Amino acid sequence: MKFTLVKDLRKDRVMKPILSGFLVFTLLYLLSDIFVKQSTFGIFPHAIETSLFGNEEEFLDGLSQASFLELWHVEIFFIMMIAFTTSTVYIRLSGASKTALLAVNIMLLTALLSLVTLALAYYLSPHFIYIYVSSFFIWHIVAFFCTLISLKRLHYA
Amino acid sequence: MHKAYKISILIFALFTLLLLLSGYMIFELKIGFEAKNVLSYYMGDAKLFTPAKTNSGILKLSLPHIFAFALLAMVVLHFLIFTKFKYNFFVKVLIYGAFISAFFEIFTPFLIINVSELFIYLKIVSFFLYILLIPIVLSLLFVSITQIKL
Repeated sequence: MKFTLVKDLRKDRVMKPILSGFLVFTLLYLLSDIFVKQSTFGIFPHAIETSLFGNEEEFLDGLSQASFLELWHVEIFFIMMIAFTTSTVYIRLSGASKTALLAVNIMLLTALLSLVTLALAYYLSPHFIYIYVSSFFIWHIVAFFCTLISLKRLHYA
Repeated sequence: MHKAYKISILIFALFTLLLLLSGYMIFELKIGFEAKNVLSYYMGDAKLFTPAKTNSGILKLSLPHIFAFALLAMVVLHFLIFTKFKYNFFVKVLIYGAFISAFFEIFTPFLIINVSELFIYLKIVSFFLYILLIPIVLSLLFVSITQIKL
């Protein structure tokens, strides 16, 4: 990754617009992810429970194991790539301060927790949905702020 | 390597293991690990009323995997540059092994339906090789980051 080699990213006329573009798209992805989840899978416990297990009163079928595993598999790949690239850029631009380290660890660990609890909710107990929802929102919010701060540092610091 | 990157890499390793686990579970559920399971999945099974896979059907499933396998292998393997194993011959074996096994894992279904049913064995071997090699790379990273002496 070239941006790990450039000494001052803010003064690099090539890397600055590249990283800016990447960060803007990351913001768009994080926002879109919430809207897409809301209209398909659900972002609140009741809606997620209905998506996973169905609802007899509303004649809705739950997710089959194959569909769930495919959804989970794709989610893992996207989240790991988004969270990792975002954290790398943020660490690089924040000079690896203690606050940056804390924010990145919270983002990565809650993203990981959201994936693990989603599987636990499907296979073990619907109670894990509450942890999934909390961790889903925490990692999205932290990632959103890390991206915003990275953009600010890139242009105004 | 900076401490901040070390922690990120360790968490990234956990994500990677989770991805491999989900891939393993999908393979087990949808195809199965026995040769006859793989054969019936690709060639169809009259008893189970499952149709044979077509070239376009396989290509549709392969397309995202071509990118994903390569990206995952590249990201995981490039961390080895920061380790003491950088110039080790074993690392070269891991790099070539990961990409070659990924290639056969993705493209053997075409060989199964177009050339010979015997390629089911290559499909199974390449799948297990890929999900074995990536954790080996991750364990080398773990050893290097935590500075455990081998």
